Amino acid sequence: MKATTNCKTIEILNLSDKQLTNLSARNVLSLSLVEMKAVQDYFRKLNRNPTDVEIETIAQTWSEHCKHKTLTGIIKYTEKKGTKKTKRTYNNLLKETVFKATVELNKKWCLSVFKDNAGIIEFDAKNGVAFKVETHNHPSALEPYGGSATGIGGVIRDILGVGLGAKPLANTDVFCFGNPETKDSQVPEGMHHPKRIAKGVVSGVRDYGNRMGIPTVNGAVYFDEGYMANPLVYCGTMGIIPKSKINKKVNSGDLILVVGGRTGRDGIHGATFSSMHLGKESDVSAVQIGNPIVEKKVLDTMLKARDLNLYRAVTDCGAGGLSSAIGELGEKTGALVYLDAVPLKYDGLVPWEIWISEAQERMVFAVPPKNKKRIVELFNKGNVEAVFVGEFTKDKKLTLKYDGDIVASMDMFFLHEGIPKPIRPAVYKIKEENVQKPIKMNSASLLKALKDALADLNVCSKEWIIRQYDHEVQGQTIVKPLQGNSIEVSGPGDAAVIFPYTVVKGTKKGIVLSNGLNPQYGKINTYKMAANAIEESLRNAVAVGANIEKMSVLDNFCWGNPNKPEILGSLVRAANACYDMSKAFGIPFISGKDSLHNEYSIDGEKYSIPPALLISAMGVIENAVNTVTMPLKNEGNKIFVLGITRNELGCSVLAKIKNVKGGVVPEVYPKESKEIMKRIYKAINSKLVESCHDCSEGGLAVAISEMAFAGDKGVKIDIDVIKTKGELTVAEILFSESNGRFVVEVNPENKFKFKDIFKDCIFAEIGCVREDKNVAFESVKNKVEVKEKSENLLNAWRNTITW
Amino acid sequence: MFEIEIFTKEGFKDSRGEHVLSEISGLEIKEITKVDYAPVYIIDADINKTEAKTIASELLIDKITEKFEISSNSGSRKSKNSVIEVLYKKGVTDTVSESVIKAIKDLGITKEVKVKAGHKYYLHGNISKTALDKIAIKLLANTLVQEYKIK
Amino acid sequence: MKKVKALILKTAGINCDYETQTAFELCGAAADVVHVNSLVEKKDKIFEYDILAFPGGFSYGDDIASGKILANEIKNKLGDKVKKFSLSGKPVIGICNGFQVLVKMGLLPDPELFEQISTLSYNDSDKFECRWTYLKTEKKVRNESSCIWTKNLPDVITLPVAHGEGKFISVNDKLLEELNKNNQIVFRYSTKDGKIPKYPLTPNGSVEQIAGICNTKGNVFGLMPHPERHVLALQHPAREGFDGEHGWGKIIFQNAVDFVK
Repeated sequence: MKATTNCKTIEILNLSDKQLTNLSARNVLSLSLVEMKAVQDYFRKLNRNPTDVEIETIAQTWSEHCKHKTLTGIIKYTEKKGTKKTKRTYNNLLKETVFKATVELNKKWCLSVFKDNAGIIEFDAKNGVAFKVETHNHPSALEPYGGSATGIGGVIRDILGVGLGAKPLANTDVFCFGNPETKDSQVPEGMHHPKRIAKGVVSGVRDYGNRMGIPTVNGAVYFDEGYMANPLVYCGTMGIIPKSKINKKVNSGDLILVVGGRTGRDGIHGATFSSMHLGKESDVSAVQIGNPIVEKKVLDTMLKARDLNLYRAVTDCGAGGLSSAIGELGEKTGALVYLDAVPLKYDGLVPWEIWISEAQERMVFAVPPKNKKRIVELFNKGNVEAVFVGEFTKDKKLTLKYDGDIVASMDMFFLHEGIPKPIRPAVYKIKEENVQKPIKMNSASLLKALKDALADLNVCSKEWIIRQYDHEVQGQTIVKPLQGNSIEVSGPGDAAVIFPYTVVKGTKKGIVLSNGLNPQYGKINTYKMAANAIEESLRNAVAVGANIEKMSVLDNFCWGNPNKPEILGSLVRAANACYDMSKAFGIPFISGKDSLHNEYSIDGEKYSIPPALLISAMGVIENAVNTVTMPLKNEGNKIFVLGITRNELGCSVLAKIKNVKGGVVPEVYPKESKEIMKRIYKAINSKLVESCHDCSEGGLAVAISEMAFAGDKGVKIDIDVIKTKGELTVAEILFSESNGRFVVEVNPENKFKFKDIFKDCIFAEIGCVREDKNVAFESVKNKVEVKEKSENLLNAWRNTITW
Repeated sequence: MFEIEIFTKEGFKDSRGEHVLSEISGLEIKEITKVDYAPVYIIDADINKTEAKTIASELLIDKITEKFEISSNSGSRKSKNSVIEVLYKKGVTDTVSESVIKAIKDLGITKEVKVKAGHKYYLHGNISKTALDKIAIKLLANTLVQEYKIK
Repeated sequence: MKKVKALILKTAGINCDYETQTAFELCGAAADVVHVNSLVEKKDKIFEYDILAFPGGFSYGDDIASGKILANEIKNKLGDKVKKFSLSGKPVIGICNGFQVLVKMGLLPDPELFEQISTLSYNDSDKFECRWTYLKTEKKVRNESSCIWTKNLPDVITLPVAHGEGKFISVNDKLLEELNKNNQIVFRYSTKDGKIPKYPLTPNGSVEQIAGICNTKGNVFGLMPHPERHVLALQHPAREGFDGEHGWGKIIFQNAVDFVK
């Protein structure tokens, strides 16, 4: 070990606490004092100072992004309800909530959970399907186009890097942006306008996803001013993998092959940067620009290499670059890497930069020496660069060499297990919720509210985004994000279904993807927010024909600064909801990710984002041909509402547009909901359902209107027969956002069979599909008639976002 | 060094230019009446003007809808309109330039070539430097990864 | 009987190769996806095939302009072979990016001339558009098209488009007249009942709503819509198609396979 011109020794042995803290800040290490002291202890034992390569390696490996140290750390939690206090200590929050539920559910069809780059469930006897959702928030705030493009590029590589590599079949994306109508003068200095961020992010996902030839089939956009300076960009990818390729194993003596893009100075400190707050002075080198064509070439050739069994393990270079990828693969063996062998974009990179650069489109393989020549030839034939940079050893050490000198030498155990567990306090105060004063509205104001609800930013058509994505490439998107009975009309699909007939020849099965996200509820109660997100994702999937017994979910927490006890407390509540709902619905979590420290500063003042939990659901459908869509199909068919409508308008769309104070946030009743979901699957597979739509933001009024205009049909609804819990006003019935409800269209011939399936559930026949193309809601009891041409409602829904 | 600019021919729609114009009006800048968009390629290689012309006419333009202008050093072309030029900063991955280099080889030009790809926007109308800066910063360039020049 | 063999040409950024291969296979052909590099190595391999397909995607990222770099590469490295293949009367198809490649290297509309005389330019909306469209099919003698690919189709079919540069423009009006006269304009965007549509039913602003053209012989065919994405009724938004199971796109591939037989 020696310092060279390229590699400096960092004085650490004799630093005081204060100096350690300064060192961490100065070098953008994002390590706490406790962590810095652990590093100091380790090198005191070795009786030498670390090199810059070593200290950077530790910072990467121990970063929030790579290690999830907050959620795996110790949390002392206090919950307050009125004057009552309850306390609990978590030694590892995720293991004791999300992961615990999966272990307890113990589903045989979960093939790989929480251990690889993505979760995998069974597709059929020979194949599994993998799903992963990632976030790329901070880079997208600074460079929306490059940030989101590398976000989608990164999650695609997660799928390429799961097991021995899966073939990507679909992408999903979910965004939270600030209000696009924000005045220019209200945008903080140094930040981009929310509309510019939105447009840039959409273009980035579009250009990367489209060029990769992976359809973006499902998503959501949520606007709230709390995301103005810190947007959320969730990107997901689903892929298919032969069961025989799910496990990877690195042997000592295997060679380390780096494949794909070259290494440059791009994205240095991306992993540590993601745990810092955003401000005017944010680090510029953290931004990367992607090259989808390089990644596409890697994808095309690596799957060939996989099928020829040319390698034993693979992982992607994500946050932390080679440092993370090789560090992970070599955790059990040890690794020796020649940093000067890594192909560079340009000269001038010093060893630590090469080692932690987050340059895009790179994958790392463990190759048995006998396949050395063949694998490189194969990649080169596809115009992909592939270079050996070292080998996996058996000394359980990480050794890095540059120009013949050893520039780093550390124990793998210290790197991966040496991080001290932080202890953080967390508190949560449960807010009281009360039913609002009765909302009384006449026919005219109800109609106006309906149009306003349809035009609301969080309800309105996202066609402007969806049509820029090639959501049909690969020809397997059989339930599409926009659904219409004819080409001229459309409505919002609840979930997407992929029918992978080009990959699994002769298959009848489909894969359903959906999501749930309700940050508005989190402002009152994060437990309810999480529960709502889970139920919504499941309801969306069930509405197109998913089997509730074969669904799995992913969690993605985007939260503010966890060093603030209230913020961490709200996360603990949400994690508990995940456990409770997972158990109650019998739906395992198969993978997840968290992005904490979503905090930004304006004029020196720090703000955290409204917490957001994205639940992404995936399931396997036995008979893809039986899936249904949401547009109404035929005149004369009957309309049913399944489930009960409660007075739940807290944080609802109606509350927002009518400025209603108070109200109860919708509660989830898993037992009730699951029973309905099971029976819908039965009804759909007995071909008794013509169309089905989940009921969420904007309630029954919005759901039924969407079905009508997407079908280019009319509908007449009798409000008085809708089943409610207690006495509700017409406005409350139409706009309440209670969970567990579906609107279903049934052919009159099948009415009795359909009703038979739902006996002992709460449901009602509430109207029928009509020729006149008017949407009409009537209550004789209250002398209310809300009536409008479905075309006009379609236009109200369509015309908000036309950038 | 050759700078090749690609223009839409008279009579054809410059969709990008029109789009930028509508976005400028969204910034509440009313003085601009028209925007011409021109992709620009700066080619740094030991080639003669004939070769540069071949690259432009065979590769960089669409023969039906576009024409090119070529100058032997960057920025020498005069325009009566305000021009904003946007290029990636040094060290930022420029994927277009990589593709162009490959395509020049396919044309049979085997000399070593360096390419920078960028964008030029010709803004018609009387407009202040401050407004131009605003258009560049708010709309056309992200100064984190790109640099812009106003001419 | 010998199986009909289709060559699907692939390069960096091509991404509709799988589904195009599946479409040919569904019609009883054997289809190989061949990288342009391998074909350049063994150029005459092309003549082992009965059908040549340029699938959709973003060849070389569609940098410079859609299909441009691949068109340039093929013309310079494989031009004479591709021309010979086309003039031999064997079926050639270019879908979306493939159509852009055919037009930009000049294989369409006139493979004998082999010069670019038309183009596919930026959509009028200046946006990528992924949506389903109605296509009016050209009919000629005995109510049939001269294009071997588009026989046996009804007057109006539906297929999806997904492109940012699909606006067909011809070099001059004379060419447009000729294309019309020779019945080379085989697909036009239309309304449900075959009338002239407005945006978004005409997704890109093509002159005369042109969506697909062929050469005078009818063997070389290019189109912006994706027939390979509608070989099954299940792929249609309202699950429409023919025979209860298949989509209109299948007829297009079947035509070429049957023609070779």
